[in-house]
Amino acid sequence: MNVIVAAPRLAGTWFRSHARNWRIILFCYLALAPVMALFAYVRIYPIAWSAVLSFYDWNLIRARKPFVGFANYLRLVSDENFVLALKNTLTYSVATVVLSTLIALPLAVFLARKSRLSAFYQTVYFLPVITPMVPMAIAWKWIYDYNYGLLNYALSFVGLGPVAWLTDPDIALWALIIMSVWKVLGYNLILFLVGIRNIPARYIEAASLDGADAWQKFRHITFPLLKPILLYVLVTATINAFNVFTQVYVMTLGSQAAPGQAVRVLVFDIYQNAFQYFRMGYASAEAVALTFIVLGFTLIQFRFARSQEIA
Amino acid sequence: MATRNPGRTAFPRRAVLKLAAGGGIAGALVLPRRATAADVTLDIWTGYPELVPYYQSVAADYAKTNPGTKFTFFSTSLREAEQKLSAAVPTGTGPDIYDIGTNISVNFIDNGLIDPNPPEIDGYLKGGGWNRFVVDFCTIGGKTYGLPLLEGSKASMFYNKAYFHEAGIADPPATMADLVAAAQKLVKFDASGKMTRSGISLRLSGQGSGVGEKFRYVLEAAGGSVIARTPSGKYHNNYDNDAGRSALQFYVDAVQKYKIDDPKVQHDAAAFAAGATAILWREAWVIGEIQEKNPKLEYGVVPIPKWNATSPYKMLLQPWNIYVNGKSSKKDAAWGFLKFLTNQENSLRLTSMTGWVSERQDVNWKPLLDKTPQFEVFVTPPKDMDYYVEPILTAWDEIESKLADRLVAAYPDPSLNGNPAKVAASVKQMAAETDSLLKEAGFYGTT
Repeated sequence: MNVIVAAPRLAGTWFRSHARNWRIILFCYLALAPVMALFAYVRIYPIAWSAVLSFYDWNLIRARKPFVGFANYLRLVSDENFVLALKNTLTYSVATVVLSTLIALPLAVFLARKSRLSAFYQTVYFLPVITPMVPMAIAWKWIYDYNYGLLNYALSFVGLGPVAWLTDPDIALWALIIMSVWKVLGYNLILFLVGIRNIPARYIEAASLDGADAWQKFRHITFPLLKPILLYVLVTATINAFNVFTQVYVMTLGSQAAPGQAVRVLVFDIYQNAFQYFRMGYASAEAVALTFIVLGFTLIQFRFARSQEIA
Repeated sequence: MATRNPGRTAFPRRAVLKLAAGGGIAGALVLPRRATAADVTLDIWTGYPELVPYYQSVAADYAKTNPGTKFTFFSTSLREAEQKLSAAVPTGTGPDIYDIGTNISVNFIDNGLIDPNPPEIDGYLKGGGWNRFVVDFCTIGGKTYGLPLLEGSKASMFYNKAYFHEAGIADPPATMADLVAAAQKLVKFDASGKMTRSGISLRLSGQGSGVGEKFRYVLEAAGGSVIARTPSGKYHNNYDNDAGRSALQFYVDAVQKYKIDDPKVQHDAAAFAAGATAILWREAWVIGEIQEKNPKLEYGVVPIPKWNATSPYKMLLQPWNIYVNGKSSKKDAAWGFLKFLTNQENSLRLTSMTGWVSERQDVNWKPLLDKTPQFEVFVTPPKDMDYYVEPILTAWDEIESKLADRLVAAYPDPSLNGNPAKVAASVKQMAAETDSLLKEAGFYGTT
């Protein structure tokens, strides 16, 4: 009898418990729906629409916008400006990501030590991150000035002659890289610092008891445990580097500016095609290509990080 | 027998009828007023923020005789204005009136977003207030569009009188060869060989159509042009020739052979106002810049030199027009205001207030010239001046910008120094790109 009575009870409990779970799940989705809808509208929809536009000869003003299939993508390969922009962007991205990581990591190790001035230095390094890009790029334009620039003035103290940082086509891209490394250094530094401070102190103490020196502790404890942070830094820095635009736009404006071709990067080329020449379709094809390039680099970084974890 | 309902307020029928009649009369008086052109708000957009005080001043005067007309103004940087208009006008959300360059307006005209001028405005434009180059500039397919507001170029040669006096040069140079000779005397270097003052400030770096435009000052003087129109209405490059090679050679020599300018030193109006250069080719707005930054500067303004003694003076005309939006519902009111805005009195006001030169040829400039004689060459150029205008072509901005990208790379390129064959090869490459862009846009032809 008991069994007969208990079965519907159990079923009822199971049903009520699942119904409650479903209600909670439904509530979560409903609560998230407005934000998700907004995200889809302002992020997903434009990306999808860009992909659609890339198959059209879509001029912003012209009424006729014919479907051209893959013609925009095929044209990318033979477009000198696109190829140059891709080359410059790759150089810029690799240099910025590598330099900003290589400088930030030892600085973070140094600042992780308990010191009275540590907070001060962290603030100093982080200040460029929160400074808006446009005024900062204008300030750097002055710093790089051949005649009155601070950088050439500093070089004169060590007996070096002035450098045409912006106007020399061979140097202009590197001037941009220096400025960008300065800008992102603080961000990477803070991330590494958080990672280092989260490493349990007992690991370092144990290594010290075993007689490990500072380099050995870094090599065998700090660095391996920092890998997730390092991956995050590399991925975000790569994405940001490929999207460089504002500093290029500011530094090529006016007569006392960098030669356009020397610092042509992908987003600048996209901007010019889209908003100066109104070739929205072609610019969209460039944007889609850029998305796949960044996605490719990100996947390579993830795969490399995973292979290191397995090893 | 009808009885009154005690629970309801009584409205005598006569009172209701009176109210209805009163309301009808009031409505009849009010509604037509709303429909007249007198009660309108005109939205005006510009990419030149310095024009806003001028627009406001003219609008205030216009409102005195047209009290129902109100105005709103919006201004932003030129590039942003171009983008906003390009997005707003086709979607019917643009302003009633806007000033913009032909790189944008020609696209709007092509797509029916700007109507041809009404007969009254067409007659006003052709009535003698503007010269034939300017009227032609506003004419596409036999119909006129918009009204000329200001001259975007008319570049002339600013020269520092004190430096000329110091170098023993009596008169400003009249030919390009004289110019190079004068600039060589005017340029200064320090003991280490670093240029401290350029002989002339050319546009040698940066990006965009401005670089191409400055190259044209020499190219046109030498007898070439970036593109030429064929009798059938097609276009092709017109600088893969002696003129084009000479123009590029001029710039390369200025930087590398004669060393009268250097991409590294300070340039443009700021350099001229600061005394960091002796000569500058620029538009009239530089006068305002000098008045603001260095009012004591002794300078003169003359036409850009001829190519040689027998060739003519040449001047770029780049009329900047103002248009009524083809989708505006207040076109009559908008045209009424534009006629007032571009009359003789307000044309003088434009130049006096902003430094931008009005395109009108029938303005009495005396009050302005008494105050600032340097405006003379801009407002009353020599009678024998040859003008060339900005081509009205959808692909023009791209052609000029891409030419500019190649020019800034060529000017300091050491392999071009003293190497006419390499200069010729560079010009050929640039010209091929120009033709390719024309082909792509469907404008290319040689016959």
